[in-house]
Amino acid sequence: MGLKRNVSLKDGLRYQGKGPMLTYILHRIGGLGIVIFVATHILSSYAGGTVGVFLNTIYEHWIFQIFIFFCALFHAVNGLRIVILDLWPKLIEHQREAIWVEWAVFLPIYAIAVLVIVRTALGG
Amino acid sequence: MEITIKVFRYNPEKDKKPSYKTYKLEGIETDRVLDLLEKVKGYQDGTLSFRRSCAHGICGSDAMRINGFNRLACKTLVRDTGAKITVEPILGLRVIKDLIVDMEPFFDNYKKVMPWFINNDPEPEKERLQSQEDRERFDDTTKCILCACCTTSCPSFWASDEYIGPAAFVNAHRFIFDSRDQAAAERLKIVNEIMGVSRCHTVFNCTLACPREIQITKAIGELKAALVTGNLK
Repeated sequence: MGLKRNVSLKDGLRYQGKGPMLTYILHRIGGLGIVIFVATHILSSYAGGTVGVFLNTIYEHWIFQIFIFFCALFHAVNGLRIVILDLWPKLIEHQREAIWVEWAVFLPIYAIAVLVIVRTALGG
Repeated sequence: MEITIKVFRYNPEKDKKPSYKTYKLEGIETDRVLDLLEKVKGYQDGTLSFRRSCAHGICGSDAMRINGFNRLACKTLVRDTGAKITVEPILGLRVIKDLIVDMEPFFDNYKKVMPWFINNDPEPEKERLQSQEDRERFDDTTKCILCACCTTSCPSFWASDEYIGPAAFVNAHRFIFDSRDQAAAERLKIVNEIMGVSRCHTVFNCTLACPREIQITKAIGELKAALVTGNLK
């Protein structure tokens, strides 16, 4: 008797894991975004013709590029943080600071890239 | 002050689906969430079910999600939660009734790492001596009270209860790094299985949730490093 074991996506997202949990969720979204980008790229090359041109317009669109750059950059920076902590477990005591460093690295690079993408898209 | 406490309710004999019930009661800032649950059960609704035993953060019986975060109800003050509190069962284990979950999968994983002392040398006349430095090596992981706050905060455990989980890793660490124990290689083989440490994504939920403030992710990191280097120092 009792309920079946079930942890829904909603349950997981509702868990109040604070900063580290946020980076975990964004890391997963980043991974998914990279898969979508690569899949769109391959499909557009494979399909060619009208479908290929249509897919090209999606992944070359500046809004899509802003999203994809977020995914790729965050995935890379967060992945690097995890690799460093895994290789040197003693640093794990400073995991809070590691997350602040990660944001300090990520945000300026991302902001500059977004600025360049938007200026290129709107200014020509 | 008036406190509003919203509690996850599920009675397997009556309910098809779980629901939430809200209770209002008077309390003070230094009340613990466990005190509030006791008041609700004692004065408002005797059908409310939850586990508790020592009520002093030692037995680990009353782990629950309080305002969406795993804690022990006996160590959580109203001062830290605010006057609006939501209490739900911990995630990843089957709910039996209200806040009570089936802990068997958790303890099955715990048993997998052989959480007992193994030394086949003839027993000495007195105790097995150990230097202070050697004892210090695994001091942090001796503090585990098996409350399951860590394991049930872990996304890898939410995905599969076959995953050995942080609490079992902590207890594996406690013996693997004990200089008197002789089964480190066997335990490392177990934590290196497909549902072992490689499934840890270094999320840190376990470390934040631990009511004993054990550096769980660090302990898991040391297990990963020991698997790669073979170094147990």
